[in-house]
Formats: sequence, structure tokens, C-alpha cells
Amino acid sequence: MSGEILSDERKLALEDICETCGLPESKIITYIEEGVVEVQGGDVELWRFSELSVVRIQKAVRLEKDLRLNPAGAALALELMSQIEELKTELNRLQQLSE
Amino acid sequence: MEYKDYYALLGVEKSATQDEIKRAYRKLARKYHPDLNKEETAEIKFKEIGEANEVLSDPEKRAAYDQVGQAYTPGQDFRPPPGWDAGFEFSDRPGTEGAGEQDFSDFFESLFGDSYHQQRAERAKTRFHARGQDHHAKVLIDLEDAINGAKRTIVLKVPELTEDGHLVVKDRKLEVAIPKGVREGQHIRLKGQGAPGLGDGGTGDLYIEITFKSHPVYHVEGADLYLDLPVSPWEAALGGKVKVPTPGGVVDLNIPEGSKQGRKLRLKERGLPAKPSGDLYVTLQIALPPADTPEAKKLYQSMAREFDFDPRKNLMKNARQGDQARAGS
Repeated sequence: MSGEILSDERKLALEDICETCGLPESKIITYIEEGVVEVQGGDVELWRFSELSVVRIQKAVRLEKDLRLNPAGAALALELMSQIEELKTELNRLQQLSE
Repeated sequence: MEYKDYYALLGVEKSATQDEIKRAYRKLARKYHPDLNKEETAEIKFKEIGEANEVLSDPEKRAAYDQVGQAYTPGQDFRPPPGWDAGFEFSDRPGTEGAGEQDFSDFFESLFGDSYHQQRAERAKTRFHARGQDHHAKVLIDLEDAINGAKRTIVLKVPELTEDGHLVVKDRKLEVAIPKGVREGQHIRLKGQGAPGLGDGGTGDLYIEITFKSHPVYHVEGADLYLDLPVSPWEAALGGKVKVPTPGGVVDLNIPEGSKQGRKLRLKERGLPAKPSGDLYVTLQIALPPADTPEAKKLYQSMAREFDFDPRKNLMKNARQGDQARAGS
């Protein structure tokens, strides 16, 4: 069985994001306001999301539910996670160099 | 069956108050949440503490569990005593923290399984149509799998609703194609492979997150690969062709004359396959031949005589400048 790799190049409309994540528009808008996901385009009808937003939104939903966070808290956790990931990559690189 | 010490899992005393249990669970949940903790064991641990909390945070279940625990001696194979749950009512508590659609251990199922699932099934029936949950799985692959593409079998736990309204958890095996050129951290979506929906709700999707095992030779960043290439002092100084492994096979690499330690050379599009492919960065690591024979020692001694070479020239100069600067301030 083969699937598709989620890509930054394929874009989704608000409707598609709601459908894929099983969430109402209002929740997606909250996530945009909190910076969980970014959106391109001016009017709501023209909004386009990267397909990778799906993964971030699903993570935010799990964090909210499992750890009783609010959307701002979930956004902060995601931000710190990506900082940790960057630092880990850098640390790995430095460790390999020093070996 | 293994007896589960829920108190030990949450790290609390048997006499802990409900508040202490709540605090212990929340702290551990933050620590082991699989989205926050990338350790492979985090997910298992998160499920275990979720199960412990499911029981201990509910005074009714906790009382029943405590009664079972009294009859149990550590190390014993566990069987629930017959009729052990007589006299306990398990009321539905939809607000229980952290209890999502998760699969609990056999131990939990043997104690609370039936009543728990009946409640969930009842609750599910009252919701008319809902799309099935999306499932998530992490797959650890070798770098070679990303370079060549591969097939991996993953096992999913799938809750299914039986005709009489019970939920049973079944193993489902899926053979998944790992596409050539996939990168670490990318997600593969398998449409319709998540949980079945309720009513007319569609089936959820399955998302697979790709992680790489560490590789003895290459270090991966995105689609680019990094490799430390040992070279001899004369190869670095005089230049020359040396053999370098790449994912596509061994290639000849031209070392430029006068290369220094740590010099980076780029082999264009010799990284992970993609459109365009990543690059392979080769970092030169100058290796010194050991002076472990009289002949080798002689060679080093003749180099010491012949070269007018002071590797600490700049170091001494900079140190003096630093001294002067401090004296002047």
C-alpha cells in the first residue's frame, strides 16, 4: 500500500483543512490567530494552507486534549518543540564533528 | 497476565489523595506525551500512565482496584478473582482527563473492560455520524530505505464495534511502501486507513511519520548528506583523487591542492534522491600516520628539520596582542 508524502507545495483551502482535520472553521481561525499555522491569501475564500499545516493542527489538537492546554499553550509547545528539534540537529552535527 | 501497579506507575503512595494523583498524572503526561517526547518508549509510557490515571482518578474504579490489589502478591501471575467487581458501580465519566480513544492493557481490560466499553459504545451510539479518527504511527527506517525506497510492515491497534455493541481491539497489519527520497520528519498519508467512522461518517486517515535510524557514515540534514572523509597529510597538501562512498556508489573525488583540515567539498546532487536531489557534503579530516616504527620516526624527524613550520605562530601573536590590549585599557 502506498500513500502520499505531505508536501509544502500542495495547498489547501480552509474548507479542505476543516474536512481533513475534522474541525470547525472557528477552531482553524483560532489556530491561525495563535500562530499554530500560517495562511496565505487575503480573503477567507482565497486562504491557502500548506499541506503540512494538517500535521501541526493535529498535534495541537492532541496537546490540547491530552494536556488540557488552550490553543495559545499548544502553539507555545509547538514553537518550543521546533526550537528543540533545531538544537538537537545542531548538537548531533557538532557531536559527529568532534568524534 | 501481569499485574499492573498503577500507584507505582504514577509514582504516588497508595494513600495518595485524589489531588496528588491528579498532579502526578499531569506532570508525567507532559513529560511523556509522544508529541513532546521523541523517545521511542514515550508512547508506551504515556499509555501506561493514562491507564493508571483512568483507574486511580475515578474513586469507584480506584476502590475496586485497591480491593483486587489486596489479594495479590507481587510476582504472581494475575487473574481477577471471580465476581471481584460485585458491589461496584462504574458510572460513566466522560470528563475523565486524558482518556481518549486508546487501547488499554489486558490487565485493565480484564478488570474494567466490559463496563468501560459498553459505556463507550452507548455513548458512541448517541452521536449520530462522525468521521473516524485519524491514526498516527511512527516508522523508523534505515537511510538506505529512503535512498532506494522500501516496504515496511506496521501493526496498528484498531478498535472495532461488535454486533452486540462491544468494542474489541484488533491488530491490523499494513504493508506500507516507503517512497524513494522520503526525508526525516515527513508524513505519509494513507487515505481511509484510520479508524472507521460512526454512522455515515467517513473513515479516518493514517498518518505515518518518518524517522531515520542513525547511520554509521552519513549524517542527514533535509535532503543533504554529510560525510567526514579521512585524508592523509600529503593528500591534503598535494591534492589528488580519492574514493568516496555515496548513496549511488563509490565516486572519485578531487582533493584540491593545499586543502586544510575541515575543508568542505560539495558533491552536487549526490545526497538523497529528490527533485532536485540533495547534495553530499564531504568534510576533510586530516589523519596523521602513527610514528610507531624507527622508519616512521625518521620521516617525522626529517620533516621537522626540513620544514620551517610553526603551527603556533598566530596563536602567540594573538595572545600578545590580547595582553597589550588589556594593558592599554
